[in-house]
Amino acid sequence: MKNISRFVLALALGAFGVWLWMALFPSPEKVISRQLEKLAQAVSVRAGEGYLPRMIGAQTVAGFFSTNVEIKIDLPNRREQTTLTHDDIVQTVLAMHVTGGLTVRCLDIAVAVGADKETAQADATVEGRVPGEEDLMVQEMKFTLRKIGGKWLITRVQTVRTFS
Amino acid sequence: MAQNDNDPKTPQPGRSRQGGWLRVVAVGRNPKTTLARIAVLVVMSVVVFKMVLLPIRVQGISMFPSYKDGRLNFVNRLAYLRHEPQRGDVVSIRLGRTNVFYRTPSVMYMKRIIGLPGDTVVFANGHLLINGAALDEPYVKGPCDWNSDPITVGSNQYFVVGDNRTMPQENHYHGRVEKEQIVGKVLF
Repeated sequence: MKNISRFVLALALGAFGVWLWMALFPSPEKVISRQLEKLAQAVSVRAGEGYLPRMIGAQTVAGFFSTNVEIKIDLPNRREQTTLTHDDIVQTVLAMHVTGGLTVRCLDIAVAVGADKETAQADATVEGRVPGEEDLMVQEMKFTLRKIGGKWLITRVQTVRTFS
Repeated sequence: MAQNDNDPKTPQPGRSRQGGWLRVVAVGRNPKTTLARIAVLVVMSVVVFKMVLLPIRVQGISMFPSYKDGRLNFVNRLAYLRHEPQRGDVVSIRLGRTNVFYRTPSVMYMKRIIGLPGDTVVFANGHLLINGAALDEPYVKGPCDWNSDPITVGSNQYFVVGDNRTMPQENHYHGRVEKEQIVGKVLF
């Protein structure tokens, strides 16, 4: 019985040690996943949110991207390829007409860090929910990131077609 | 041999009977067996509801009226282990190509298979033609005016579409999916 208790205690301590290590030194995959979740939170808009909080939110969103970010949209009713600066991103976020609010979530994030450890690709499902509407907006996305100044920044965003 | 009233192991009349009853209700006659049963139940639940029968909630109107918004259902992930998906099957489709069995997708599309590998699918004035012949679709209610160019389904692909064809065609996600994107068959 004493041996079992010691074994369980050692196991618990080991698990705590692993958890602590992972919390203090997260892998690039974990850092990027969290970053995309935070980006989704920053894009979300509360119902009736004023201009100033939206402006701050838009600035926060721009901070997740590199100076010039390539956007590639390939949807059934829209095709577009463009490059946006930070100012463009701020203006785009502010121009979103979402008076009733919008909740955005990044789900099922799969990150692949390049061999150089400086670039990464993240596949995610982006879910947008407008309060009161039955239909969800769901889109597969691919993000390309680069480590710039010690921070992972998004350099490219593209939509992915689920159906061909 | 005499019984010692102060011995905690000696059953006390009344109180011990009540305590024993509560104990039996709480942890069973044999706590170790109960603990083992709970552990087995938890493991079985995780295995069943993560890997075999995925609980889902229908959101949206693309499968209306067959599947209404908010309805609960299950996806059988083992449905296509022994046979290939069939025409008319309602399936759930993962977004993304990462097909890891133990990773459960948070969001999936729910669609009906109408085209099998090698088929040519066309919508002509709202009628669905498979290899030139009209397909009987009793599950489609309401008017439809969809039109499309002929689409040939690849060897490892299936053509899927929702039952609600009253929606504008451009707002209704449908088309070819790879077999690996099919998570499983919707149970009910």
